[in-house]
Amino acid sequence: MELLASVLTFTAINVVAVTGVFILTGLTGLFSLGQGAFMGIGAYVAGLMAIKYNFSFPLAACGAVVVGLIAAVIVGLPTIRLRRDYISLVTLGFGEAIAALLNQSVNITGGAMGLSGIPKQTTLLLAVTSAVICLLLVWGFKCSRYGRQCLALRSDELAARSMGINVNQVKMVAFLLSAAITTYAGVLYGFYTTYVEPVMFGWTKSAEWIIMVFFGGINSLTGAVVASALLTGLPEILRAAAEWRIVAYCVIVLLILNFKPTGLFGEYEISLLSLLRPRGNRIREGEGS
Amino acid sequence: MTAQLIINGISLGAVYALIAVGFAIIFNILKFSNFAHGGFMTVTAYVGFLATRFWHTSLLWTLLIASLAGGMLGIIAELVAFRRIRNNKGPVIYYFVSSITLGMLLENLMTIFFSTNFYAYPNFFPVATVKVGQLLLGVPELIMFCISSLALIILAVLIYRTKLGTALRSVSYDVDTSGLMGINVLRIIQLAFFLAGFLGGISGVFLGISYTLYPQLGQLVVKGFVASVIGGLGSLSGAVIGAFLLGIIEILLIRLVGSGISPVFIFVIMLLFLLVRPRGIAGSHIQEKA
Amino acid sequence: MNILEVKGLNKRFGGVQAVADFYLDLPEKGIVGIIGPNGAGKTTIFNVISGVYKADSGQVLLAGRDITNMEQHRIAKAGLGRTFQNIRLFRGLSVAENVMTAIDPLTKYNIFSALLSLPGKFRAEREAREKALHYLELVDLIAYKDWQPENLPYGLQRRLEIARALATGPRVLLLDEPAAGLNPKEVIDLIELIARLNRDLGLAILLIEHRMEVVMQLCQYIYVQNFGKTLASGPPAAIQCNEEVIKAYLGDEE
Repeated sequence: MELLASVLTFTAINVVAVTGVFILTGLTGLFSLGQGAFMGIGAYVAGLMAIKYNFSFPLAACGAVVVGLIAAVIVGLPTIRLRRDYISLVTLGFGEAIAALLNQSVNITGGAMGLSGIPKQTTLLLAVTSAVICLLLVWGFKCSRYGRQCLALRSDELAARSMGINVNQVKMVAFLLSAAITTYAGVLYGFYTTYVEPVMFGWTKSAEWIIMVFFGGINSLTGAVVASALLTGLPEILRAAAEWRIVAYCVIVLLILNFKPTGLFGEYEISLLSLLRPRGNRIREGEGS
Repeated sequence: MTAQLIINGISLGAVYALIAVGFAIIFNILKFSNFAHGGFMTVTAYVGFLATRFWHTSLLWTLLIASLAGGMLGIIAELVAFRRIRNNKGPVIYYFVSSITLGMLLENLMTIFFSTNFYAYPNFFPVATVKVGQLLLGVPELIMFCISSLALIILAVLIYRTKLGTALRSVSYDVDTSGLMGINVLRIIQLAFFLAGFLGGISGVFLGISYTLYPQLGQLVVKGFVASVIGGLGSLSGAVIGAFLLGIIEILLIRLVGSGISPVFIFVIMLLFLLVRPRGIAGSHIQEKA
Repeated sequence: MNILEVKGLNKRFGGVQAVADFYLDLPEKGIVGIIGPNGAGKTTIFNVISGVYKADSGQVLLAGRDITNMEQHRIAKAGLGRTFQNIRLFRGLSVAENVMTAIDPLTKYNIFSALLSLPGKFRAEREAREKALHYLELVDLIAYKDWQPENLPYGLQRRLEIARALATGPRVLLLDEPAAGLNPKEVIDLIELIARLNRDLGLAILLIEHRMEVVMQLCQYIYVQNFGKTLASGPPAAIQCNEEVIKAYLGDEE
């Protein structure tokens, strides 16, 4: 049962991270290869606050998210207004820079040896609750004027501007929100594993999440969640095949891109029967209600 | 002393230029950032290594074998990862994810086959340094600079002086019209990938020589990206200029603050460039038509 | 009173002078047309007016306010709506949602309301959706509100673009070849729609068109462009008889 709890906790943490990526990549169509770096910032900053200054979890988490947001502003401000490739390349550079920073500041962060001794405060309950809350927040974002404007500018930036949408501002909001959520995922991660090292947060981690979102379908939050659950849960259980795991899902993603590019779930969303009208359902072949 | 550093920087810049141009070729033709380029470099670096192991090849033969392998890899990549997206007119987003995935796949395959051991190329260079006037030049750096420059010059001649090159440039402006003008667009795209892979092959071997061989070697492709951003995305000459600049800046920085923290400074410089001159040194401002 | 004034507009691309010294006046509640052969620079004029391109020189005044070289979204907010020569509808959003995107920049609730799904958000969303449906009714597309735009027939897609542009609440509407690709019946419906919008909403309309029946029936004043320059301008009757214009362009398209 220890193993099951561990798998579930990691899955929940990944779900939090994936919701962050979904806002940026799924809704807004921007690819950040620096999400790993934001997680690193979350884990390290919160961890250090707890270890050195005895901050409680909520306080450390807030502190870390603030730092993450400041970093996102610095990275985003010059880059967001440029064409999409720049955001990917710059966030890649950002990831490298953070990794270098973490490695070098041996006195503060323990350098390549990592930071250990973070109090274990992430319980399964906390992780799952966080995941559920993040899902609700992102769902709220998607079904709002922000979500629509993001989808509009993702589809056609020029037309979006002509409709009065302040594209740069909307992109920035998405970027900041995504950074905040991902930083928080890092906090959860650090306070669960109690040990973090720079190599855990490289750009390949960011790429893994983008792949997860794609696996489920960039237009579907449900798909992204299912994909992250599957892709996190499976390898933990299939420990033995760990090496081939990444190769396997790279191959699967390539297959998906070639044959069903909209991802396994396409644009399907679970419709929340309760309060909201079933706006989540994408009607495929024309006729509506 | 400074002259020494600058020369080292230029030599490093030449290798970065190969990387940046390999990346820029794909960017020009298909308009996306090929994140698999790092993977190309890693695989070819290992191929070159195997050649030296089993056939005891000299430097030139190793380069040839690795570059050809790289070229083939490029063509395979086009078929496996990008062809269908192009045929289905998929959004640029898909190319991006495909290239990242391919890059990860290649890197992980190398990890599986070679594990995380560090391998090293044999020493190709009988003499380590040579004295030219006051300066002590490293022979490996000198030779890498010469070969890189030669490769770039040949590439430039190909692109600007031959019919094939004109076709390449025409496809990079407008794929559909080029096709209508009778250019076999598929062959040209395959050529572009071959060239990118070929250059990646040379870069891979050089990186392997400079840094020893490990599966994450391809991550040095980031330098190529930064060079392209500084030089201006979409410009081959910009990529070259950016790369040389980057090489010099990096060597100077390493001297000033050590190699560990230099990625941070390079990143800051890149951000500053974007603030001040987003189109880069030689990039053009592409305006979208309504 | 002129709701839109263009004075001495110039735009060059490399070696090509796409728009040379262009002047235009659009009176309030008026309908004015721009015609000319392909490549005459008509869409470029629209692009400069709406902020897609920066003018090399010249001035654009909207209700007396200088909007020259302002950012696109600010120009849209100032009261200029437009449609596009190549349809640019938003995929991934339904027909109704496409129209809502034009209302979204003006809707009041903030990010926190959105994230936390506060009651204020639901109220604002409901109002926005009702507004969107209203515009769909104006162009007779209400039956298709939940369709995906790419599944609509071509003529209806053009109408959706108009509905979306209307939702920005403009004082001037720029229509770029709205009749392109429409069959004769659809063209008649379009003429009727534009006349209705002009009459009932008091909307001033600037129109680029190739279909002469649209231009001649709707426009009170026409500018003829050729190679970036204004060849002639005047009421439809005068243009029809103008030798230069006939030579350059009209031929026997009537």
